[in-house]
Amino acid sequence: MVYTKRTLWPLVIGIVMVGYAYLVQSGQMEPVIKFLNTGRYVGEMLTLGYAFGGVAIAAGLWHLVAASREGHSDYYFSTIAGVMFIMMVAFVVKWGLDPLMANWGRAAQSSLGFNFASVMNLNYVVMGILAGIIVVNVFKVPDWAENGVRLSRLGLKTGVILLGALYSFAELAQLGKLSVILIGIFVLGSVWLVLMIGVRRNLPNSMTGVLSAGVGVCGVSAAVAAAPVVQAKSLEIAYTIGTILLFGVLCMFLFPIVGKSLGMGYVQFGAWAGTGILNSAQVAGAALAFQPGGIETLKVAEIFNITRVLFLPIIVVWLAIWYVRREQAAQRDVQRVDAMQVVISKFPIFVLGFILMFLLSSTGIFAPARHYQGSYFDNSDKALMKKDRSGKEINNHLKAEEIATLQKELDKIKRDDQKAALTRLIENKKVISEEDDAMVRGVINSKALSKEGTAVLSKAHRVVRHTAPKIAQFRDLIAWFFTFGLVGLGMQITVSSIRQAGGQPLVIGSIVGVIKAVGSLIVVMLLVAETI
Amino acid sequence: MEDKFDRGSALTIFPSDRYEDLMALALSFLIAALVYFLV
Repeated sequence: MVYTKRTLWPLVIGIVMVGYAYLVQSGQMEPVIKFLNTGRYVGEMLTLGYAFGGVAIAAGLWHLVAASREGHSDYYFSTIAGVMFIMMVAFVVKWGLDPLMANWGRAAQSSLGFNFASVMNLNYVVMGILAGIIVVNVFKVPDWAENGVRLSRLGLKTGVILLGALYSFAELAQLGKLSVILIGIFVLGSVWLVLMIGVRRNLPNSMTGVLSAGVGVCGVSAAVAAAPVVQAKSLEIAYTIGTILLFGVLCMFLFPIVGKSLGMGYVQFGAWAGTGILNSAQVAGAALAFQPGGIETLKVAEIFNITRVLFLPIIVVWLAIWYVRREQAAQRDVQRVDAMQVVISKFPIFVLGFILMFLLSSTGIFAPARHYQGSYFDNSDKALMKKDRSGKEINNHLKAEEIATLQKELDKIKRDDQKAALTRLIENKKVISEEDDAMVRGVINSKALSKEGTAVLSKAHRVVRHTAPKIAQFRDLIAWFFTFGLVGLGMQITVSSIRQAGGQPLVIGSIVGVIKAVGSLIVVMLLVAETI
Repeated sequence: MEDKFDRGSALTIFPSDRYEDLMALALSFLIAALVYFLV
């Protein structure tokens, strides 16, 4: 079979991308960029526009002139058109729809009384997934793009592995302890709850078992991994996947709205999404939807997600024992399955890739030694003097009026060590050590000073912390891998796959899903400090 | 998406999840190498 569908579309997409990049470069898009306030994206508009546009034009010409012959190269090359299709949707949403919606939200605020774009969380992540859902359910994914859409999960997995490069030992130790406790309680608790309710409602053991893994651990992949040990039938796996997808998609849109209305911070929301949302892909979607301009929330959420994937072997062994006992008690013949063999063959090894990438990064090859969250301390005068785009020098030492603001508010600080650090900051017009920087951060987080005072401290902290260029590059790449994966994921969420949900599995899955979401929200709000 | 693909599945072009994981692993380390050498 030949997979490459001959079409002009990749060529058209390529010309549009390169044309857009050229218009941006020549300054002709300046009024539009100014109106949409997308100046910060100009760099990526040029790089990605030319890069993807060039590839799309090459693929389009190849479609026109070369005859595809059956084989591996035809199969894998047939994905290029779909990748370009997803990227085109992502560009339109990120550089066009997202800022346009933000403008409309602000413009309508005075008449509506609220900013609808902000309240409904209409950022590029949410709109990208929605665009994908609309494309597949209303228009249908074009047949020439179908193979490329099936690469979206590869994009998400690659993003998760690359994310490993952004953590430091200190960060992972802090988040890891918290995630093991929270995930331990909620994974084991929800598996137990599904098993208990399933037994009470006389659901087949195989159905109960596969549903418990899907709802308890990490969604679809956990359900697929647990299916052999509870001898689940295809229909039971389909019911579970339908339930997880339905619940996951709802959570992906609702969690960020709830999180913002409760004023949750990045750590709190990441912990909640990573614990409460059933499926791994939707965890990433919710985290990026909550913080579309950065990946701090995604980093926290993924630690929780990866921790629960690490629980998968325990759950598979537990379900194997539980299933055999239940079937034997009912005096039915049961074929024993080697649980360890299932764990080895089904464990998602991209999680190990994440750990490997973290270990590689912790050798210091991507960021200077002693980096924390990819940033390092440097208060040298060279580092504090920056040049703006026009080449004008900017002095980032504290100015006289900023020092006066701090002096006025110094008495508000009660702790002697913090007061001493602020005194040194005032005397030197800059933070003089990492220890003082930690003190300054503590004062910022305690919100002891006025808004103006906190702004001065934030600036003093910001100018001595520098992001390693390699880490900054990783952040940009990761954000784009997730954007690609999530838009493609939207194109795989069909009404027919969600319709598979129904009956008792949907009822039980919804009960436990809601308990898990609300329970983890309460625990996170009570126990997780934003400044972790 | 209906299961209409004779290679891979509705969710992936690869023959198995394990294969997809390995591809993601290879791609990630290739990107890490490019970042290390070029940035």
